[in-house]
Amino acid sequence: MSCSAFIGHDDAKLALLLNAIDSRCGGVLFVGEKGCGKSTLARSLPSILPAGTPFIELPLNVTEDALLGTIAIEDTLKTGKRVFQKGIFARAHGGVLFIDDVNLLSTEIVSLVLEVQSRGENIVEREGLAIRHPASFILVASMYPREGELSPHLLDRFGLCAGFERLENSEQRISVMRFALGDGSPITDKKLYEQTEQARSLLRHVSIRDRLLEYIADICLMYHVSGHRADLYLLAAARAQAALHGSREVTREDIDSVAPLVLMHRRRELQPPPPLQEQDEEREQPDQQHEPPRDTKQEQKPPDQDKDQKELPPKPRELPPQKEEIFAVGKTFKIKRLVFRKDRIERSATGRRTRTRTKNRGGRYVKSVLRASRDIAIDATLRAAAPFQRVRNRQDVVMIDDEDFRYKRKERKMGHVAIFVVDGSGSMGAQKRMIAAKGAIQSILMDCYQKRDMVSMIVFRKDKAEVVLQPTASVEHAARRLCEIPVGGKTPLGAGLLEAYRLIERVGRKRSETRFLMVLITDGRANQSMSSMAPDEEITRIAGLLRERARIDVIVVDTEEKGRFTTTDRATSVAALLNADYYTVDDLKSEYLHDLVQKKKL
Amino acid sequence: MIFPFTSIVDQEEMKTALILNVIDPSIGGLLIMGEKGTAKSTAVRALAELLPELESVKDCVFNCDPVGDLCTECKEQLPDHGHLHREKRKMRVVELPLGVTEDRLVGTLDIEHAIRRGEKRFEPGILADANRNFLYVDEVNLLEDHIVDLLLDSAAMGVNIVEREGISFVHPARFILVGTMNPEEGDLRPQLLDRFGLCVGVTGVRDRELRVEILRRKAAFDNDPDAFLASWAEEQQKLAQKIIGARLKVGSIRVDDVLEKIVSITALLNLDGHRADIVMMKTARALAAFRGLIEIGQDEIKDASWLALRHRLKRLPFEEAGADREKVTAALAQL
Repeated sequence: MSCSAFIGHDDAKLALLLNAIDSRCGGVLFVGEKGCGKSTLARSLPSILPAGTPFIELPLNVTEDALLGTIAIEDTLKTGKRVFQKGIFARAHGGVLFIDDVNLLSTEIVSLVLEVQSRGENIVEREGLAIRHPASFILVASMYPREGELSPHLLDRFGLCAGFERLENSEQRISVMRFALGDGSPITDKKLYEQTEQARSLLRHVSIRDRLLEYIADICLMYHVSGHRADLYLLAAARAQAALHGSREVTREDIDSVAPLVLMHRRRELQPPPPLQEQDEEREQPDQQHEPPRDTKQEQKPPDQDKDQKELPPKPRELPPQKEEIFAVGKTFKIKRLVFRKDRIERSATGRRTRTRTKNRGGRYVKSVLRASRDIAIDATLRAAAPFQRVRNRQDVVMIDDEDFRYKRKERKMGHVAIFVVDGSGSMGAQKRMIAAKGAIQSILMDCYQKRDMVSMIVFRKDKAEVVLQPTASVEHAARRLCEIPVGGKTPLGAGLLEAYRLIERVGRKRSETRFLMVLITDGRANQSMSSMAPDEEITRIAGLLRERARIDVIVVDTEEKGRFTTTDRATSVAALLNADYYTVDDLKSEYLHDLVQKKKL
Repeated sequence: MIFPFTSIVDQEEMKTALILNVIDPSIGGLLIMGEKGTAKSTAVRALAELLPELESVKDCVFNCDPVGDLCTECKEQLPDHGHLHREKRKMRVVELPLGVTEDRLVGTLDIEHAIRRGEKRFEPGILADANRNFLYVDEVNLLEDHIVDLLLDSAAMGVNIVEREGISFVHPARFILVGTMNPEEGDLRPQLLDRFGLCVGVTGVRDRELRVEILRRKAAFDNDPDAFLASWAEEQQKLAQKIIGARLKVGSIRVDDVLEKIVSITALLNLDGHRADIVMMKTARALAAFRGLIEIGQDEIKDASWLALRHRLKRLPFEEAGADREKVTAALAQL
């Protein structure tokens, strides 16, 4: 399909054109729902580029070596010299690299792509190869935010961004349907092609007045963008836009027409989760529609800004019964780096918390081992065989014996399934412990967002424990549940632990290799059991069950205020029973890097 | 083509911290933390053009210092010839790309040589390239743990000891580690953090005039890169000369008078170990040399303390990040 035959979505089309004219526009990201033509439009891009321009699609299962290039097995064996086998970057050079669902790729891979795109060069230092080659390409990516987010840091590196919504105009929708039946439109888009060709040659003659540079700076300051990429990309896009309509000078209109493309993904309010996700989740849960409107401002604020307002009580879900209280979320802070043992299980995982061996082709080649697996480490195998070539009388090809074979061990990071088990009993209301506790939970949640953990939440109070949030990737969702947790009643700690155990079993049945991180937030003063056993005995038994189960790490956050006459330190014994790492709220705070960069408040 | 260092607008602290490491490489590198899109990488890469020439052992791939530590090869040569031939080489910025593998970092068996000759020979890796040069790691907080371990190992010892695939080799690996990172994306291992001599934080320029100036220079660079580079050549030359001058002078600047002051500051701030003292002393000295002074003044101590101490301060519970600068200021005021 050709580009001009594409119906609607003019700003997305414009973003593509600008990149086709000047690759310094930094690529384009299409954000929107499935089935709106994001990939169709991207695939139409070659119709306005010179014939034979490469168009490479990046598959989601791409590995680092396939992307960067690797050692060419056959040629290397034949010649005894290391031969470089081109990767995707080399093949995309001078053309287009398209990534569908870029948010589903691992952060490492996305970082690599954006880094190479912005510098226009690929540097390979791996498997015995040290090679540099030019790699300039137009980057086009698409994402559907409900499937997962892209960090603001990565978003910022895309020059332009265009939103995709379903077309509302019924005439347009009808034309789309007609089009789907096939109307035999031309493969190359002659008119647009010529227009972009002309724009490309005109580009270096396009100038911009000082007054308009000021205008660009003003727009970016007004939108509170962080850093300077917005200014620079806005300049590049405006120049390309001027060239597009054959003008030698950038006008204010040029800037205005491309500014939305540059600013859409850079506005501060977007951090950390994009609002699209927020809306979608609301839509999904009609049962919550009668809630009073939430204080969304408070919820969406980036972590560094919510310090001023945390004493505001969140709006309750319903009128709370007597003796129940909902406390606000206390101060948040950067938490210590939580370190967990690496295990020896091979899994196919994503995330950023703990290293794991991988069983499929993904992951980073860490070292070569003798134990056979799917991936032969060709560099290590050659090194093992190399010294014996004379003895073995090498003729044409390198002689490899069975004992020379080495295999790749690959690793990558994974997220855990974090289960917050929160004490909602009356004692948590004493001295407003819950405020600090909620602050601590919110702080750990922020860490879970960075490490891409799944999160879930269990609250125990009165006579039972309840899963208030099933495992989800939406940390935002968890933060909202957190605000709503009420305090009051007895402390059925055993029930809380049992509910966590059940949840772990449930998730574990589906994905047996899942790593769990249980975060127990309590003062440890259990006083309610589910059975005829005494609370302490019950806890000992359930803790035993949890200890026996593999792949659970537990941390206990003690909310009791220390150094008082009434201090009981009962949470320490619970931590011991669970083999858990024990923290007080203060212990959790990071001593390092604590916001060393002081953001300017806006 | 690389944007000239001198044409980077504002960000003086970052630029100065980089230059101080050229003046005295034993300061121990720099960590640049800051929000996205603030010319962090641009500055590090642009530094290359300003770097001075060094005296090295002729043809040595490990860039050995003729009067310093030597690699296995140079050591073998020395008794044969009685002396080592020298040559001048420009100091470089060597990059550690994301996705680097262990064998390329530390070096490994030279396969081709082994196949052709049946002999084992060491093939140098990035640590060899980085000896006496800058080693730049972009997004240092995203670096793989096993690579960080290797970096820490050789950074601590100043040598790279290779024992693998039947190869034994030792070569000096004294590099100036420069890392950039965006703290929003996750933090850094404390051991690695401590390795960086200095630390600066950068934020975007909020001043309208300066922002416009950035755009103006970018537009000029895009329009005609050659002309732009030519128009900055003189500035570049001047700064390069100033750095060379400071390198020559730095050793002769007296530090005796300020040692006590430095120790009293670090003692007030309750810092562990001696690294903070030493780094601060060297930084103040390099600053004085760069500013063309003959001795270290109060300003140099003040500026050096913030560069050298900000990532080493310990924070008490409940303390806000903003309290840091006040603490350092308070410690300085007590002098």
